[in-house]
Amino acid sequence: MSDPRVHQADAELEAPSTRHQSQWRATVSALLANRLAVFGLVMLTALVLTALFADLLIRQPINAQNLADRFAPPSSQYWFGTDDLGRDVFSRVVVGARVSLQVGVVSVGISLVAGTLIGLWAGYRGGWIDTVWMRAMDVLFAFPVILLAIALVAVLGPSLRNTMIAVGIVFTPIFARVVRGSVLSVREELHVRAVRSLGASDRRIILRHVLPNVAAPIIVQASLSLAFAILTEAALSYIGVGVQPPDPAWGYMLSDAQRFQRQGWWLSVFPGAAIFLSVMAFNLLGDGLRDALDPKQRSVIESRGVE
Amino acid sequence: MRIRVLALAAAAALLTTACGDGGGGVDVDDPDAGPGENGEASGAEGGTLIAAIGGEPDQLNPLTTTSSFAFTVLENVYDTLVQPGDDLSMEPALAESWETSDDLLTWTFQLREGVTFHDGSDFTSEDAVASLDYIVAEGANGWRFAAVDSFEATDDYTLTIHLNTPAPNLLTQLGNFKGLSIAPAEAIEAGTLADEAVGTGPFRLVSSGADVIELEAFEDYWGDGPHLDGIEFRVIPDEGVKLTNLETGEVDWIDSVPPEQVTDLEGSDALTIGRTAGFDYWYMSLNNEREPFDDPDVRRAIAFAIDPAAIAEAAKFDAATPNETAIPEGSFWYHEYAPFGHDPDQAQQLLDEAGVSGLTIDLMVTNEFPETVTAAQVIESQLAEVGISVDIRTEDFGTWLAEQGEGNFDAFALGWLGNIDPDDFYYAQHHSEGVNNFQGFSDAEVDELLDQGRVEVDEDARKAIYDQAAERIVDQASYIYFYNPDIVEAWAPHVTGYETLASAATRFVNTRLER
Repeated sequence: MSDPRVHQADAELEAPSTRHQSQWRATVSALLANRLAVFGLVMLTALVLTALFADLLIRQPINAQNLADRFAPPSSQYWFGTDDLGRDVFSRVVVGARVSLQVGVVSVGISLVAGTLIGLWAGYRGGWIDTVWMRAMDVLFAFPVILLAIALVAVLGPSLRNTMIAVGIVFTPIFARVVRGSVLSVREELHVRAVRSLGASDRRIILRHVLPNVAAPIIVQASLSLAFAILTEAALSYIGVGVQPPDPAWGYMLSDAQRFQRQGWWLSVFPGAAIFLSVMAFNLLGDGLRDALDPKQRSVIESRGVE
Repeated sequence: MRIRVLALAAAAALLTTACGDGGGGVDVDDPDAGPGENGEASGAEGGTLIAAIGGEPDQLNPLTTTSSFAFTVLENVYDTLVQPGDDLSMEPALAESWETSDDLLTWTFQLREGVTFHDGSDFTSEDAVASLDYIVAEGANGWRFAAVDSFEATDDYTLTIHLNTPAPNLLTQLGNFKGLSIAPAEAIEAGTLADEAVGTGPFRLVSSGADVIELEAFEDYWGDGPHLDGIEFRVIPDEGVKLTNLETGEVDWIDSVPPEQVTDLEGSDALTIGRTAGFDYWYMSLNNEREPFDDPDVRRAIAFAIDPAAIAEAAKFDAATPNETAIPEGSFWYHEYAPFGHDPDQAQQLLDEAGVSGLTIDLMVTNEFPETVTAAQVIESQLAEVGISVDIRTEDFGTWLAEQGEGNFDAFALGWLGNIDPDDFYYAQHHSEGVNNFQGFSDAEVDELLDQGRVEVDEDARKAIYDQAAERIVDQASYIYFYNPDIVEAWAPHVTGYETLASAATRFVNTRLER
């Protein structure tokens, strides 16, 4: 901060705030013009509200067992029926939304922060740091996602917290790669070279000039990763190493339901639909964001729209 | 045409038996001979029974395998010296009779003559000695013969067993299941048993692949039967798929039925359900080496808080009998004792007296046996009533066993399968030096009783000892017992002469297909 010239250069090179605003406005309007993305956004809002207000929505305590009413079909009393222990499936699906979202947000948060830091550092520095970090990421990347997650949970022990950590680690290389790739090109752009030649610190360059320019791919990747994180959690819970019973998780409910196919279709249909809808919502939003944030892509869409 | 010929041959074999039966036989030339015990032979012989089993046998050597699927197949291929009868007491098989010396240390068995192995060689006492020596040296069940000093072939058809200490349960240890089979001495020496099954049973192995194992009738079988041409075992892991296969006629017999469907299916004409009270039991155990579970009153409190009947209903629907001890009703060794019931108030009082509050239990279960996961959820909700919270931990079975071995648990739930003698039910699990005493239970009184039970030869006195041991084990809550599951099998209506046995042995020797 001691060198006033840097400040000055910063001010000149930074985009005027109006340009920022117009850029975001364009992104938002492009997103809102995409009907599928809006649909995804609406469903996500519903999902988030469900998770936030789950305690108000549930109709029975989620673990209240009632063997006399086991396998009751959907009715006015049990909207989604009851399971093998006579628990209310509707209440469990509602609370399951909280579990799924929590896993999604926390694990993607872990991988986003870790992956972005690694990607920024490796991409900006280059050289052996880049080589070491990215090869390490390649090793992680080489494992199938589920297999690596199972291995991690096996080491850490099965629990909700460890599931989030495992999924977070598994998704880290994806962010690291996306960020590094963007950094490599941003690093060589004129305005970055200019501030570097003016003597700005690496930290300042990375935070103020590189990071904002790689934000778009990170946002898109985060949205898509949320969908995969929810799926991975469901898969882990399905095979029994994720969320532990009796806590309701959609994947766990689904694996339980498999044993009772003949007793009640509702046991598998509702948790399955919940997984399907939330994953689809994140995917639609992610696709919409990618289109809206990528100017090239956007112009293609716009020109198509004109046709 | 080969099948037809075999059918005729089998029919001829049976007719010979029928005629040779003397007084009980019917005149086979009499056209009016009804479908009596022997008379139905002519129309009902032959056919290949298709049986579905839940998993692939790991190997076909009965002396070293521990896979229940292997035994489902090998039950029909091999014989033991004695075998469990209807009430699970031991009956003659390859041994026709036996006597015990006055000092109880020498047992002499007269072996059946004229028995042929599937490879054509004759069965003699040399084969019995070779098999039993092999079981002790390399088999999975050598521990059963801890009391044995040596096996001796006194002559071709006499086997003498010399003991170090009296062994009242020697017959059970010799005939409990087909893990104690007799194989030819040559095959044992050559080490070929894992690939080529050579037994004396009613069926012999034709081929074994990954998904299909084929057996065919052994014409020189020493007993009555078999009446089938052969058996084809198909591996179908999923219980639901197995049931569907039976309902659509793809298979004739299945080795298990999803418990939740047993009641519905029992009324069905489309298939026959075979159901009998089994000898398996399911339980939970608390780590006696960790506080506060080292206090018997805390363990008792948990036993009072848990309702075995609710667990049985939740986990097995009604295909199980709640039991607060291990040995089921129907066994000679059954002892009616149920001190706990479901009494949360008593539980709370015991916890208060022990000064325990805010307790959290790490309860380890495994997906391999989904009934443990279900039981854990019922336990969780019942213990919540007395202020104990339960963290359920679902591990894969390999990890589960490792954690159990290392004592990394507050509590675990599982079952024990296939026990008959009370020593099997208690010693390894509750003696302070028992190999399966993972919970670290140690009680001088129980140790003494279990040691006594091993050498007491008078049956009633022995039962009194085990009754006392059972009460003490239950009172001290070394295990908290839940239930004995029923053994449930199912078959098509045209399958006759098959019976679901309490010993879980799957014997097709008397089975016929009547299409």
